Amino acid sequence: MQRSIRARLASCIAVASMFSIGLSGCTGSGGGGGPASGNVIKIGSDLPVSGADASDGIPTQNGVQLAVKVANEQHMIPGFTIQADSLDDAVNGVHNPPQGQKNVQALASDPAVLGIVGPFNSNVAQAEIPTSNALGIALVAPSTTNPTLTKGPEALELRRSNPNEITFFRVCATDDVQGPVGADYAAKMLHLKRAYVVDDNETYGKGIADQWAARFIADGGTVVAHQHLTPGQTDFHALLTDAGAANPDVVFYGGTSATGGDQLRKQMAGSPLASVTMFGGDGIRNDEFLKIAGSMANQVYATVASVNAAKLPAAQAFLKEYQDTYHVPVGSYSAAGYVAAMVIIKAAGEAVKANGGKMPSRADVLDQIRKAPKFDTIIGSFSFDASGDPTSKIISIYEAKSDVWDFLTQVKFGT
Amino acid sequence: MFDFHTLAQQLINGVATGGMYALIALGYTMVYGIIELINFAHGDVYTLGSFFSLTILALLPIAGVTSGPLLVLIAIAVIILAALLCGITGVLIERLAYRRLRNAPRLAPLITAIGVSLILENIMQLWKGTSPVPFPQFLPNTEHSIGGVIFNDNEVLVVTVSVACMLLLNYFVYRTKLGKAMRATAQDRDAAQLMGININSTIAWTFFIGSALAGVAGFISGIYYGTTFFLNGYQAGLKAFTAAVLGGIGNITGAMLGGFVIGIVEALTAQFLGNQWTEVVVFSILILILVFRPSGLLGQHLAEKV
Repeated sequence: MQRSIRARLASCIAVASMFSIGLSGCTGSGGGGGPASGNVIKIGSDLPVSGADASDGIPTQNGVQLAVKVANEQHMIPGFTIQADSLDDAVNGVHNPPQGQKNVQALASDPAVLGIVGPFNSNVAQAEIPTSNALGIALVAPSTTNPTLTKGPEALELRRSNPNEITFFRVCATDDVQGPVGADYAAKMLHLKRAYVVDDNETYGKGIADQWAARFIADGGTVVAHQHLTPGQTDFHALLTDAGAANPDVVFYGGTSATGGDQLRKQMAGSPLASVTMFGGDGIRNDEFLKIAGSMANQVYATVASVNAAKLPAAQAFLKEYQDTYHVPVGSYSAAGYVAAMVIIKAAGEAVKANGGKMPSRADVLDQIRKAPKFDTIIGSFSFDASGDPTSKIISIYEAKSDVWDFLTQVKFGT
Repeated sequence: MFDFHTLAQQLINGVATGGMYALIALGYTMVYGIIELINFAHGDVYTLGSFFSLTILALLPIAGVTSGPLLVLIAIAVIILAALLCGITGVLIERLAYRRLRNAPRLAPLITAIGVSLILENIMQLWKGTSPVPFPQFLPNTEHSIGGVIFNDNEVLVVTVSVACMLLLNYFVYRTKLGKAMRATAQDRDAAQLMGININSTIAWTFFIGSALAGVAGFISGIYYGTTFFLNGYQAGLKAFTAAVLGGIGNITGAMLGGFVIGIVEALTAQFLGNQWTEVVVFSILILILVFRPSGLLGQHLAEKV
């Protein structure tokens, strides 16, 4: 009796989890179209484009595919047709590190793929960087903000196969900037004093929550508690009762909408926290948050580790083209996705030139990305430092107004 | 950081979540009691209940309704319809997937149950997609305070509905002819058949009632959480299963008790140990029970299993 229940439960859980990983795995779709005839260079992308993450992933993927379209129209790599090969790393609607790693391997198995845009999430990057490093293929992320991906002992461990070869780059700022900028805004502009900090215990969420909390304390605020969500948590009542007893004037959430940020906000309705401000990072600044939080999507502030493209003269053509092509507003990282793809395309173009018009190797492309003195892009000029981070970092701040994220201000660092 | 009001509020949270776990656990325990199958598709029937409720609500003209009694009537209608649809689903599952395997080795129906669970999950994924779906908050949710302890209408609804369902079930199992037939079938299927009980229809009714209760839980979870998601049933199902094992699988009173205990343990863990430890604590209880008292808290009354 005892044995059989235990054995059955164990086998059930094992089989069930095996299936759930296997079933909804690969849902990749080739964008860009057309048969691979002759001189084709492919730009891979790995982003979460289904489920709750889709409202982040799809606008970013649109940016990538738009870059490919524009590059073809402008013949940016003479003699070659550029195609986008876009894969999805969301499993059951949430970004999934093992799936991302598989996607990078799948993309790298196609010799025409010279570089990959992605991933979107920092924990997915942790799974992908070792593969990209071992295979020697460029991985250019639009939005992964955790600082340890590029710097420090953790980064060295991620690129253990070839420690001196940088293959992972990003075009966004990092959380050691994003967190403090958000905390400064909360403490100095909104005059908030008591923060209840919650994170989703993922690489990104915990990282930004720690950075934000440390700066909030330095700014004279108090962190009354720091709690972590469990994966897939849907019931926040007990957590919110605890929060209510601590009497905060702001709840900081480190994490994404897909890992519970939107439902956390929604369940604040009918609790003592109904009129308390919520603050978050780029993980909640998406349409999914507005959709789920509904009437509670007010008095919510979020930072984004990239520039607001609408404010840049150089980005106006991009914004118009995006609107004409997709008929939807841009996401937080649409411009960043476009720029990440352009970085690979421009490097590939240079590599083709250096190779006498012939197909370059991935190492040539990587070399071009590393040594480029400057990339002039729609979100400004920057190059990559020795560890793959952009030399220019901009944080923009938004406020939720029921069905739209209102731009408030932005702060620039670096050159 | 002990204070009475917080503790009381956490107990309310625990009873509310526990009520839902108990409703789901009843389905596990009744099915186990009668055919000794752990129906792992049961958690997905619970999710299906919230999806059915969504569809029914979309068909009803609820937008302009503000009158209290009418809203209560709508809620009751949705609960009954969702329960009916889930009950029918449960009967279909039993008829199509489990009946043929009734005399097969135990592993066969168990694996079938996992298969059914995956089928249901994939149907729901195709139906509503892989994102959480907002659940219409059509009932007013005002806060009340008794002696400084704050609770809201949703919590009252969840507790009232789940307790009412349990009372109904208790009446049904112990006071009606069909309930007696169920208890008889659970005790000894062959003897019951010899006494003229129609085994097939009794088992079908067991599935109907268990699944209907899961459907009710599905509706109140939508109201309580404000969203639903095609995979919600996986985790809720595991916790309800833990509740059923804790109470003594096969024992109806045990399942109710287990549900409330698990809900309260979760809430108190979130309060006193930290939110991240809730699942660790719940599943540690499952392991400890399986190791040290596999018959559960109330498991000694095996003769009463249904």
